[in-house]
Amino acid sequence: MTALRVVLADDDVLLREGLASLLDRSGFDVVGQAGDAAQLLNAVRDTEPDVAVVDIRMPPSHTVEGLEAAGSVREEFPEIAILVLSAHVEVEHAMTLLASGHGIGYLLKSRVVDVDEFVDSLERVANGGSVVDPELVMELVNARRRDDPLAVLSAREREVLALMAEGRSNAGIARQLWVTEGTVEKHIRSVLAKLNLPETPGDHRRVLAVITFLEAR
Amino acid sequence: MWSHTRRIPLAAEAGLAASAALGLFAFVAATLTITTHPIVVLLLVAICGGVVFRAARTGSDLYAVPMALAAVLAFDFFYLPPLRSFGFPDYANWGALLLYLGVVVFVCTISARTRRRVDSLDRAQATLAKEQAALRRVATLVAQESSPGEVFTAVAEEVGRLIATDSSRILRYEHDGTATVIAAWNLELPFRVGDRLSLEGQNLAGIVFRTQRPARVDSYADAPGPLAATVREAGIQSGIGCPIIVGGRLWGSMVAVTSQRQPIPVGAELRLAAFTELVATAISNTQARADLTASRARIVRAADETRKQIERDLHDGIQQRLVSLALDLHGVDALLPFELEEAHAQLSRLEAGLTGVLDELREISRGIHPAILSQGGLEPALKALARRSAVPVALVVRTNRRLPDRIEVASYYLVSEALTNPAKHSHATEVRVDVEQTNGLVRLSIRDDGVGGADPSRGSGLTGLADRVDALGGTIEITSPPGNGTSLLVTLRFTTPEGDFASGGTGSDISSTGLSIRPREART
Repeated sequence: MTALRVVLADDDVLLREGLASLLDRSGFDVVGQAGDAAQLLNAVRDTEPDVAVVDIRMPPSHTVEGLEAAGSVREEFPEIAILVLSAHVEVEHAMTLLASGHGIGYLLKSRVVDVDEFVDSLERVANGGSVVDPELVMELVNARRRDDPLAVLSAREREVLALMAEGRSNAGIARQLWVTEGTVEKHIRSVLAKLNLPETPGDHRRVLAVITFLEAR
Repeated sequence: MWSHTRRIPLAAEAGLAASAALGLFAFVAATLTITTHPIVVLLLVAICGGVVFRAARTGSDLYAVPMALAAVLAFDFFYLPPLRSFGFPDYANWGALLLYLGVVVFVCTISARTRRRVDSLDRAQATLAKEQAALRRVATLVAQESSPGEVFTAVAEEVGRLIATDSSRILRYEHDGTATVIAAWNLELPFRVGDRLSLEGQNLAGIVFRTQRPARVDSYADAPGPLAATVREAGIQSGIGCPIIVGGRLWGSMVAVTSQRQPIPVGAELRLAAFTELVATAISNTQARADLTASRARIVRAADETRKQIERDLHDGIQQRLVSLALDLHGVDALLPFELEEAHAQLSRLEAGLTGVLDELREISRGIHPAILSQGGLEPALKALARRSAVPVALVVRTNRRLPDRIEVASYYLVSEALTNPAKHSHATEVRVDVEQTNGLVRLSIRDDGVGGADPSRGSGLTGLADRVDALGGTIEITSPPGNGTSLLVTLRFTTPEGDFASGGTGSDISSTGLSIRPREART
């Protein structure tokens, strides 16, 4: 299997170089680097990578340029996976990204420190999966409601729900919880039934449905 | 003093009276020589009575004439032969009668003059009392912190009543030597609020601007300049003007004009000064309030900018550096031989420590300024706040557009602070947060179903937000009846009222003039 080809976009050169060497060491092929949205689009056009890792804050205004750049890449190359990194995670940004289709990820920038987990996330995104930062999922799951629809879930079912929202596959959830895939499937069916959510084919649509449900509850 | 009557010299008056008396006497005597028919006598008595009554009413000096005449006729009728009948007195008595008539005319003239003087003093006193009452009414308005607009309208009405002017304007002098109409009472003149007027030529605004003293124009008939021409065309005959001095500097003027042919009484412009001083006080008060609000707003804005900058520095600077360091650490880890287990373990601990620092950093910077507030607006920021609240929050945001930055920031901090109270003290099971935006106002309502009885005066974080609310010209109201929950109602305003009166003035005092214009920038 050939190495996954990555384009990096971050205006902080030190960090970008650090990330590039980390990905190099972890078996990725960093084919391009960019300091802003325009350079990113050029690099993507030139190299047509498997995945683009994009910092959400870039020049000129250092707000959500990365989000807009991700949208542009998506529009032009729908098959290229995108992982957006951010200093803080917001539900609205996650919803925007998830709405653009599968092969999308949204993580805290500090996640790169846990290299194994980060590499795993990047591979999942590159393979068409969707990744949502656990902190954001925790915020959504733990939000308190007076008539909380999540109250009917058992503790284990809440864990399963959170992992689904993070974009993990059944096998991934089983690995995290140290249970068999069969048990996970049983939990998932129960969660979906209790929350009145449809059983959707594919992990991405499941993520979208769960996040939408959590956000709206 | 406010009204004038023409005076004739005493000698002329006495002469006139005497000739009138002689004329009347001759007329009566001649009539009686022809006939002494009772009806004619009765008619003569009625005429004399009528003249006496009329003269007594008007109080003129000629009052003396019919009185004296009546006395002479009575003397003639009752005491000179033939008795009980009118007839020419004998020539020897002419001298005595004339002397008598002269004395009576003189005495009556003196008494009439005295009475007139007393009357005029009474009138002056009544006018003074009216003027004092008018000043008191206006002063009360000023003391009640009424807007300069209200004060001006009151002044214009009072001056209109007292001096009989029928139109007035307040003008503010601008740096370019023109004047702006700030307020108008009675709109017959073509000058509307907001119009810019040139001060060239002979016009009240220009004279007051140049002399900085009260001024009057008795006739616009051949006054030069465009302003005078417009005034003339509008049928204005005369007018008075008075400077408005605020804080020792000429701010503007008040001009009152009339279309009556009769000129405005002498000295009226000095009376106007007492009123314009009150207008100046009202303007100065408003300016002080506006300055205070503006300075509060600047302080709040500066603090917000600083917080935003710190949040940026934390995310774009320190966090980036820490992540870079963690990546370097991982690089070092990869370089070390596999066997150095202890070193690998220590590096892992360092990485974990860095992750912890990064998490804390994120929490701190969110507390300093939530980035989503500037990026996504009030609704997503409040939603995030609600999700993190220890007490369940039912949030309804009824605004479909981005609000001015300062409104969003103030609303966010108010809700944030209001949510800490039910969590700490009130044992509430739910907090309802409603945000509503209606023409120029944002209303926030935060109600919990807790135990109530909160005392806002006892050091709540909300009192610290009162300045922020004040700076936005808003209101804040906390009700917390025991057993009935706590509710916080806040109204925030986008626009700043009284911008026109709170700014301007001539002179080079940039420090006060420049700054006091600031509230107008804040309008949206």
